[in-house]
Amino acid sequence: MSANNSTNNHTYTPPSNVVCLPLTNQLEALLTIIRDKDTNRGDFIFYSDRIIRLLVEEGLNHLPVVEKKVITPTGCEFTGVSFKGKICGVSIMRAGEAMEQGLRECCRSVRIGKILIQRDEETAQPKLYYAKLPPGIENRYVLLLDPMLATGGSAIKAIEVLLSYGVKEDKILFLNLIAAPEGIQAVTSKFSQLKIITSFIDQGLNEKKFIIPGLGDFGDRYFTWP
Amino acid sequence: MLEHKKNTYFGTQGKSPWYRWDGTKFDCYIVGVAGGSGSGKTSVSERIIANLNVPWVVVLSMDSYYKVLTSEQKIEALNNNYNFDHPNAFDFDLLLENLKDLKEGKRVEVPIYDFVTHSRQPQTNTLYGANVVIFEGIFALYDRRITDLMDLKIFVDTDSDIRLVRRLKRDIDQRGRDINGVIQQYLNFVKPAFDQHIQPTVKNADVIIPRGLENLVAIDLITKHIQRQLNERRYSFRWELLKKIDYNEELPKTVIVLEQTPQLKGIHTIMRDRDTQRDDFIFYSERLASLVIERGLSEVTVKDHQVTTPLDLPYMGKRCNEKICGVSILRAGGIMENGLRRVVKDAFIGKILIQTDPTTGEPLLHFAKLPNNIHDCYVLLMDAQIATGAAALMAIRILLDHNVPEDRIIFLTLLATRLGLHVISNAFPKVKVCTSMIDPKINEETLFIEPGVGNFGGKNIDCIYLSPTIEHETLNSRIITILHIQIDTTEHNHLYLNDTNRIINNLICFSFNFYIHLIIIICANFLSN
Repeated sequence: MSANNSTNNHTYTPPSNVVCLPLTNQLEALLTIIRDKDTNRGDFIFYSDRIIRLLVEEGLNHLPVVEKKVITPTGCEFTGVSFKGKICGVSIMRAGEAMEQGLRECCRSVRIGKILIQRDEETAQPKLYYAKLPPGIENRYVLLLDPMLATGGSAIKAIEVLLSYGVKEDKILFLNLIAAPEGIQAVTSKFSQLKIITSFIDQGLNEKKFIIPGLGDFGDRYFTWP
Repeated sequence: MLEHKKNTYFGTQGKSPWYRWDGTKFDCYIVGVAGGSGSGKTSVSERIIANLNVPWVVVLSMDSYYKVLTSEQKIEALNNNYNFDHPNAFDFDLLLENLKDLKEGKRVEVPIYDFVTHSRQPQTNTLYGANVVIFEGIFALYDRRITDLMDLKIFVDTDSDIRLVRRLKRDIDQRGRDINGVIQQYLNFVKPAFDQHIQPTVKNADVIIPRGLENLVAIDLITKHIQRQLNERRYSFRWELLKKIDYNEELPKTVIVLEQTPQLKGIHTIMRDRDTQRDDFIFYSERLASLVIERGLSEVTVKDHQVTTPLDLPYMGKRCNEKICGVSILRAGGIMENGLRRVVKDAFIGKILIQTDPTTGEPLLHFAKLPNNIHDCYVLLMDAQIATGAAALMAIRILLDHNVPEDRIIFLTLLATRLGLHVISNAFPKVKVCTSMIDPKINEETLFIEPGVGNFGGKNIDCIYLSPTIEHETLNSRIITILHIQIDTTEHNHLYLNDTNRIINNLICFSFNFYIHLIIIICANFLSN
């Protein structure tokens, strides 16, 4: 599935393993609210949670299913599907933790691991500080959660961590709210089998490596914005 | 006649459809009852209602339509010098407007007249959904424009001495007035008004009832006449739908079906499985509801809107300026309310209770409580499933009666049949319907969707609703439903129908049945001895 939304002011065609949510009127209105610097934290949380829920629902659609027949209360047969394969969530701290709630709303008892990656001041490279992942993760589909994909540095690091725990690359679904083409390029050129699911692809990065027009620092706005 | 008589509502059972399968309406039946002060208009109206025994009857009193007095007139009124018994004391224009709307089945705001300050109170009584309106007042047959709206015009003719006696008794006993004042008022105003303005309207009447309430034969005849006319309008609704609509045609353009993704199919599989536990069922139906609501909301119009991001860059986006109102069709539609609140946190919520008559299969309206500003809102109508579409039609009809434009209604549902979708678009082609899946068949005997999900309400709501097989239990669950609604909506001030009355009535029925059983048992014992 390819991207099917028209991005603001520029054209960028992402690789085929990137999935963009359909840009409905509502989604566009939601994005407008969370991008507005005058939006207060309560509204920011409420409306970004709504987008996250849509992202999670879309992400779950990329998990495999098998056909299943059931008998309905009226005694008729219904041919549907049942979910196959186990999942777990992994959030990249701190912003990624904001997406855990949305995942839990869809999958009540989902296991969630955490990864802390920060920029090393000496080398300017992302450095792994902490990783706590659920046991048996190597047999599960992993929904990797990080709201912003800018340069892709920490995402690549996190994916490397997952791979080192034995997770299959094609079983990783990377969910994020806003992605920059540079980040998508960096991640997909290194890992061609994982899927990226995003709600919007922005113009690009500025000289400070912030996504533009973006929405600022997601973690700050979700957790500490005045 | 200075005391405000409250307009009364009689809604002891559900209201059957007041519109045809193509969405057009039957007019409401209006009865006018006129007569001099103290002639027994109110008692006659009440007796007609008791004899009629049909639901959703409204008595509208002319007392609500006294004009607002100026300050000089107020002083006159204080000194017993203002003529309340003259046609000029009434606001016939407002009355005409309200009666016209009632006739068309629309929602009406009836003024509440304050007899202390002689002005209208800021709040109003909201009337909606009457099958029969009995309009009573001394000048009920005075204005030609108003009598033209009436299906039956009655004049209650009682001897003037009896009327005077009643008036004396009422004013002295109940209103604490002195005998001289009452007689003065009678001679100055009441009697001349009767002779000049009220008595002549007798020629506008279809029927004259001599002796008022005592005349049981006349009241009985009138009731039978009304009943016969009402019966001519009734017809079998749901079965009619099955016959009239060809549902194999292409789906209407207003129907939106969610993309059939693996997750959606998976959720449906869990929900349809008869072995699924109740908590799983609730969890997945709420998840599905969220998806349907998000999809439905994206049909609401948005406008361009520019904002500045925290990086001080402009972003051209969209904004939704519409007020959103969710209306759930109880019980099953209630499961979608949570989903709506999750996405539109300040949505107004209205509720409509429609139940199926177990003997005829017809939808019956029991209760409707909608926000006052609903005509300004984009309305999301919610029900768990659309089978024949009969309940959906009724709910849409109610919204239109409340002046919601047809193209600003979106019906959200978890499961629909082709028949139901065609029924809706046939009657209301501008209403959009958003469903997560379409089932092919409806069982023509049980009216269940096949393969279907079973009964949503039963699975989803508290187990007290689970098996309404015994009549008593049905009654009980109804009472509980009504109580629930009362608790839910206490913040809304106006009332549509007297809920408490209904509960009490149901309780009386309930205990009555109980006593009948007891008596039968006692008789049986007696006989066998």
